[in-house]
Amino acid sequence: MGLASEQEVWRSPQQVHAVGSSPLCARLPGLSPGQDKQCQLYQDHMAPVGRGAHAAISECQHQFKERRWNCSAAALDQTLFSSVMKVASREVAYLHAVTAAGVAHAVSRSCRDGHLSSCGCARSGRPRDLHRDWIWGGCGDNLEYGYKFTQGFVDVRERERKLRRGSREQARALMNLHNNEAGRRAVIKKSSVTCKCHGVSGSCSLITCWQQLASFREIGDHIKEKYDSATEVRASRRGRLQLRDPRFTLPTASDLVYLDESPNYCVRDLTVGSLGTQGRHCNRTSHGMDGCNLMCCGRGYNTQKMTVRERCDCKFHWCCYVECKMCTQTVEVHTCK
Amino acid sequence: MQGTIVENLSGRKLSVLVALLLLAQVVCFLIGGLIAPTPSSAYNVLGTNCVDRGNNTPKWFYNRGKKGMCTNYDLTSYMDEESKLEMANRIVFVFQIPLPRENVSLDYSRWQQNLIGVLQFDVAYHSENEMDPRTIITIDAKLGYRNKGDPDDEWKPYASAVEERSLDCVIDNKKIGYYYNCSIVPLFELGSLHHDFYLLNIRLPVDHFKHINEKLGQLENMWLITINQNGGFTKVWVSLKTIFFPFIVGIMIWFWKRVHQLARPPALLEYMLIFLGGALTLLNAPLEYLTLYFDMPFMLLLGDIKQGVFYSALLSFWLVFAGEHMMVQEDNRHNHLRVYWKHLSAVGVGCLSLFIFDMCERGIQLRNPFYSIWVTDIGTNLALTFIILAGISAGVYFLFLSYMIWKVFQNISAKRSVLPGMSSVRRLHYEGVIYRFKFLMLATLLCAAMTVVGFILGQVAEGRWKWDESLEIEYTSAFFTGVYGMWNIYIFALLCLYAPSHKKWPVESESHSNSVSEEIEFSRLPTEPSEISSLASFARKAALD
Repeated sequence: MGLASEQEVWRSPQQVHAVGSSPLCARLPGLSPGQDKQCQLYQDHMAPVGRGAHAAISECQHQFKERRWNCSAAALDQTLFSSVMKVASREVAYLHAVTAAGVAHAVSRSCRDGHLSSCGCARSGRPRDLHRDWIWGGCGDNLEYGYKFTQGFVDVRERERKLRRGSREQARALMNLHNNEAGRRAVIKKSSVTCKCHGVSGSCSLITCWQQLASFREIGDHIKEKYDSATEVRASRRGRLQLRDPRFTLPTASDLVYLDESPNYCVRDLTVGSLGTQGRHCNRTSHGMDGCNLMCCGRGYNTQKMTVRERCDCKFHWCCYVECKMCTQTVEVHTCK
Repeated sequence: MQGTIVENLSGRKLSVLVALLLLAQVVCFLIGGLIAPTPSSAYNVLGTNCVDRGNNTPKWFYNRGKKGMCTNYDLTSYMDEESKLEMANRIVFVFQIPLPRENVSLDYSRWQQNLIGVLQFDVAYHSENEMDPRTIITIDAKLGYRNKGDPDDEWKPYASAVEERSLDCVIDNKKIGYYYNCSIVPLFELGSLHHDFYLLNIRLPVDHFKHINEKLGQLENMWLITINQNGGFTKVWVSLKTIFFPFIVGIMIWFWKRVHQLARPPALLEYMLIFLGGALTLLNAPLEYLTLYFDMPFMLLLGDIKQGVFYSALLSFWLVFAGEHMMVQEDNRHNHLRVYWKHLSAVGVGCLSLFIFDMCERGIQLRNPFYSIWVTDIGTNLALTFIILAGISAGVYFLFLSYMIWKVFQNISAKRSVLPGMSSVRRLHYEGVIYRFKFLMLATLLCAAMTVVGFILGQVAEGRWKWDESLEIEYTSAFFTGVYGMWNIYIFALLCLYAPSHKKWPVESESHSNSVSEEIEFSRLPTEPSEISSLASFARKAALD
């Protein structure tokens, strides 16, 4: 996977301080000119950005492992923000949302472990003297910072080109912006607020609250729900998105929108992000999307008997070791033709 | 015959004074709302998981610095080997606070006063390792500090302890990869923030013989949430105290001088007022200035005690105030604190039990900042006993107080029915007295109600906590400065208005034309010039009716 290897490069602590063309940003494939500029400015942010994008792709693969489109096309994509898929489908909507969420999540998290020293103390209208300011009124929340940074870094792709109003490109940009926002909001939506009382004698006359990040799986599930209820839209002549079918309810900022119906993903066509289902495993007894009938698009499947040795009855222990038994079993593996 | 200033003040002067005090109140509220930041801030710090290469080495582990910092170990990479058994004892969770921002390595300022540390655990659900709803965990915690100018690795020990805490974890949606919803684990409370940097090293050792930490689930992250008071809030707060302090001391001196100019010894109400002023002066004394130079970890405890003394003084004052205006008994019985022992014991018991509770919690925290009374069952029961006792005393107190106020109002309304038969001057005078008494009563109730309503509103506002950046008014700070200013102004007004007046009563020429019954009533009153409040004498007269 292209991302995994890149990530090792980004993790190295060497920092190039000069603002100018740095080798780090040049090595990152698929950055738009605006993103490249951001990369120069926030070089140490690129490690979490990469980690976030990587986590987003794995999450996407996990969520779609039983579907014809299983996100592998996105994983094959060498660039950070899959721009290969030309069709503006539901799946692309999900991908954009989950990537934005992954980046926001990872940046917020990195701010909190102190390794990302350039995290902002963001609060608008903050005077220059950071130290004095911090003593006076504290700093903003890292979650907010992650949100804002992602807004700048991910959305800049869609904003930097001049597009003709009402054109298809402009509609696509609007759709991406909407879905990015939905992804970032999912991170905030799923974070939980915890409070502590610390007034006189520990009473609740004084309460302080903070935001706790949710696990990324939970965020991924939330976006998947949004994927299932995504709304089809089209661009109006005035350059705004409008419902294709006026009977549906208007999507909110945290809902996903898409422009095109999804292709059936049966045959390989990289321009729509489809790898085809040839060679995919399927479940013979299932009637869902992972069932052999649907998965193989009626082309039939091969069956193979295999003996597998795998871990079973595992017991996890704090910390870091797992006791398992080895089980041997014979399974039938079905593969689409 | 002389009374207090509140009775002799003309309506115009009174309204000017009240307007000035109200203005001061509004200013206090606005200072909190517009100038001061929120009282405290919380920061999430994600622990770096270091690996102790030796076995339980005493050295400090830190994750930022020029050299010798440790690298993060991924807790999600579980291994098969049995040899990893002792890994748990080697994992050190490292929290180096405060976090750097915008490439500036921030440090704590002494203006930030205190620091509270709370742990939060991200325990991932796994069907093969389900956690009990309540798990007792053993935490081996070490807190160190460093100051600016010290080398990066020169951490000095501040406190260390092995503490047990209970961790309540529930999960609604049992899916792999989801986190349990675990309760927060209060870890430490520092009463002073004297040093610049702090370092917390935490281990969760496993011992299969003593069954320590065996039941812990798949812990993926450990978070430390640090809560410190904001320096800006401290500055505003201390300035407020510095301004109030001389005012209250001044009015107390003025009040006491006035009382001493009288021929009689000071009355009970006057003693109570001076006691109340004293308690407020104690609360106002800006001791926070000293924390800028000295390490004073007892400030949290001292603050609690000062507040306790003030509130007990205020509650006692209200009781005595209501009691002194009732006077059902004979004259020589009143004017002694002994009369109120039943009522005051409610205040005493309540404050004493809260004091003992506070000593058990924050007192012991002076020696061990990781200590908490709530951990052991005995401690929890003890703490709950004291708190419930305080609650019961509060209930009893309010029953007493409401009963006494009800009695006073009954006396007043009884007197009201006699009023039409009086001469016009006397009637006007008494009506004015009743009006002012009720006015003060109303002021007290208003103050109490505002405190309660403000408190509840604050809780509601915090409950649906959101990050709305357009919100310019700091409600919590406004509430704190507003309430603090309110009680200061209230007591200032009491000392001012209840000081003995030097004005003589106007000689009532029409008194001869009074009805016979009233002549008789007055003749029964003590004939020597009484210098206690004519309001009190009025109320006593009502009781005699």
